[in-house]
Amino acid sequence: MKLIADRLDRISPSQTIAIATKARALQADGRDVISLSAGEPDFDTPQFVKDGAIAAIQAGETKYTDVAGTPALRRAVAEKFRRDSGIDYAPDEIIVSTGGKQVIFNAMLATMDAGDEAIIPSPCWVSYPDIVALAEGKPVFVPCSQNNGFRLRAEDLEAAITPRTKWFILNSPCNPTGAAYSAADLRPLCDVLLRHPEVWIFTDDIYEKLVYDGFRPATIVEVEPALRDRTVTMNGCSKAYAMTGWRIGFAGAPKALIKAMDKLQSQSTSNASSVSQAAALVGLTGPQDFIGEMVAVYHQRRDLVVEMLNQAPGITCHKPEGAFYVFPSMRGCLGKTSAKGAKITDDESFVIALLDEEGVACVHGAAFMCPDHFRISYATDTASLREACSRIQRFCRGLA
Amino acid sequence: MSVSTRPGLSQRFGRVRVAATVAMSIKARALREAGHDVVTFAIGEPDFATPPHAIEAAHQAALRGDTKYPPQDGTRALKAAIQRQFQRDHGLDYALDEIMVSSGAKQVLFNALMATVDEGDEVVIPVPCWAAYTLMTKLVGGTPVHVSCPQNNRFRLRPEDLEAAITPRTKWLMLNYPNNPTGAVASPAELAGLAEVLLRHPQVWVMADDMYEHLYYSDERYATLAEVEPRLRDRTLTVSGVSKTYAMTGWRIGFAGGPKDLIRAMVSMQGTSAAGVSTIGQAAAVGALDGPQELVAERAAIYRRRRDFVVDALNTCPGIACHRPEGAFYVFPNIAGCLGKTTAGGRLLQTDEDFALALLEEHHVALVQGAAFGMSPYLRISYATDDASLAKGMERIAAFTRGLR
Repeated sequence: MKLIADRLDRISPSQTIAIATKARALQADGRDVISLSAGEPDFDTPQFVKDGAIAAIQAGETKYTDVAGTPALRRAVAEKFRRDSGIDYAPDEIIVSTGGKQVIFNAMLATMDAGDEAIIPSPCWVSYPDIVALAEGKPVFVPCSQNNGFRLRAEDLEAAITPRTKWFILNSPCNPTGAAYSAADLRPLCDVLLRHPEVWIFTDDIYEKLVYDGFRPATIVEVEPALRDRTVTMNGCSKAYAMTGWRIGFAGAPKALIKAMDKLQSQSTSNASSVSQAAALVGLTGPQDFIGEMVAVYHQRRDLVVEMLNQAPGITCHKPEGAFYVFPSMRGCLGKTSAKGAKITDDESFVIALLDEEGVACVHGAAFMCPDHFRISYATDTASLREACSRIQRFCRGLA
Repeated sequence: MSVSTRPGLSQRFGRVRVAATVAMSIKARALREAGHDVVTFAIGEPDFATPPHAIEAAHQAALRGDTKYPPQDGTRALKAAIQRQFQRDHGLDYALDEIMVSSGAKQVLFNALMATVDEGDEVVIPVPCWAAYTLMTKLVGGTPVHVSCPQNNRFRLRPEDLEAAITPRTKWLMLNYPNNPTGAVASPAELAGLAEVLLRHPQVWVMADDMYEHLYYSDERYATLAEVEPRLRDRTLTVSGVSKTYAMTGWRIGFAGGPKDLIRAMVSMQGTSAAGVSTIGQAAAVGALDGPQELVAERAAIYRRRRDFVVDALNTCPGIACHRPEGAFYVFPNIAGCLGKTTAGGRLLQTDEDFALALLEEHHVALVQGAAFGMSPYLRISYATDDASLAKGMERIAAFTRGLR
């Protein structure tokens, strides 16, 4: 009998292993590699959050908590949704999990049967299709083109919905494009969804706080309260509070679904770390001004990176509303040969040659279901970013 | 698909149940919130504090900014500490890529079953057992095959019963010593007897769930299967964690050693479902595993004293017969002598669940019925609680049983 279950074969092999392995090998050889591939803030967790966690440990908050999270944290999460989005969730409509990823996993595993479809606008974070496939569902990708700012169009959503559609997954601001939706952008999508009462909606708003130029991101339930009873509004501490390692994600959703997710979590991991929950509570209820300081820094970096990339021949970079990514097209580089003789046949050969020849690591677009692009994370210090972009410019100028 | 504004739950979800232990805790909490003085023996959680050196390690990790995404299989520092522990406690050599860290041992089991069990694969589960084994097996589409381990064999699995339960579809055997809920421990000789059966069935994988390994009230050290029979190492997953040994339940750190291909599949599963484990928790676990270990023996001595107190007290209660187990912090008394009787409050006791509910209602003691662990009529009592509560709870159980007519 074979060891591995069929379901595991449905998880796509990692698209980024080749790049990561190469980057590590180059670094081990003493090469100066600048990594623009991280999906996490370069900022450290704020000191007051750390202090809060340490105080909680000393107070003995080291025991099992309710599976769905401590009552105090669930109340704080409910307050966060009220404060930021004007959505009222009761504490039993909130769940806290080990990262936003577990929220998605719980929701999909609790609801999807074989053959159910989940609509995923692409480019997308590859975990969505992986989790859907693991739950025996079928990912249905709807491409969102750069000329619409990588945002989903209502008519494309409408065309993708079938009688088997169970979920529509929306990530705003988006990983990998940084595209974000305002209330006006969401309105036509909500109108489509109102016509399809069998479709559930999962909004991943984890990058919500990272928006620039005064952009005001909105979330589905805030725009259309009539969709509240079939929407999961997901958020977390990782990006807003630079707390990736603490592993705290959360969601508001109708009580029946939260109860189902709670039961599933009770059989797979039980509660998220009690210490991390205490830290999250301090983050959510403490002073929020450091977020503005962080956002100002990201803003400058975004502008720097977009400007410098657009000076690189063959590259066009859209300026996105949020997150800490840009997702430039490298279509103008296809078919060329690099200064050191590498043939650029696709986005992956582009990023590998760039890494080899200039020591800059980023992720190719195919890893996000969107070839001919690459993702740059600007969650890296400004000096390194400037240097990396100069190298990209030099690399592109060397293409012939 | 029906048009509905309620969630249509998946078929697999229909297989998930709320654990009875959780249900009992919820009832106990409701009574407590209503102002009653409730004594609870329902929870499998040490009443001790996290060791100071683990706390200090967590503190230092937070200060130095160890707050970024960890590797999905665990930090190198923690994996190295786990490697040393397997070597120190069991003489087991696992390479770093044969070790992984999860959010509690529960996630280790979940990863392993999700990664390996297809629809209809069988999982042999000795009962009484932790209910999670059965629930998780069903959740992943497997078929639980329960094998009874009766009290007259001190709740341990007999080789002939294991042999009879194995079929060509058997994928896993779940072994849990010291055992939740009985406290039973299999000796190396007994494990060797099981190993002999397993060697004849190379399709069977073995989960050695050793969560309670350091709570063993014997002069011997607990031996695990892969150590007793090295020829089974390549199909055994050795599972442990810091929750019980170091009283670190809330931190959610479990781990496992096993063959590389299994570990790799489990890491892939974990990467897709939750990604890495809290960095601060992992740092605390390094502190616990590498720090002074005297605390473990000191606490085991306290548990042992409590076990003896509880067993002796229960055996004075009419209708209750309590076996004295070797490990964990549970006893699993038989209450056959109480069935068919009526409580002072007028409740007829037909099952162990009736007993547990009546005791909670009438005397405010929370414990869990044996049925929740697959064997009746028994009770599971967790003695991971302070002496005063133990004394008070035992008095109440005695009063309850004396009141039966």
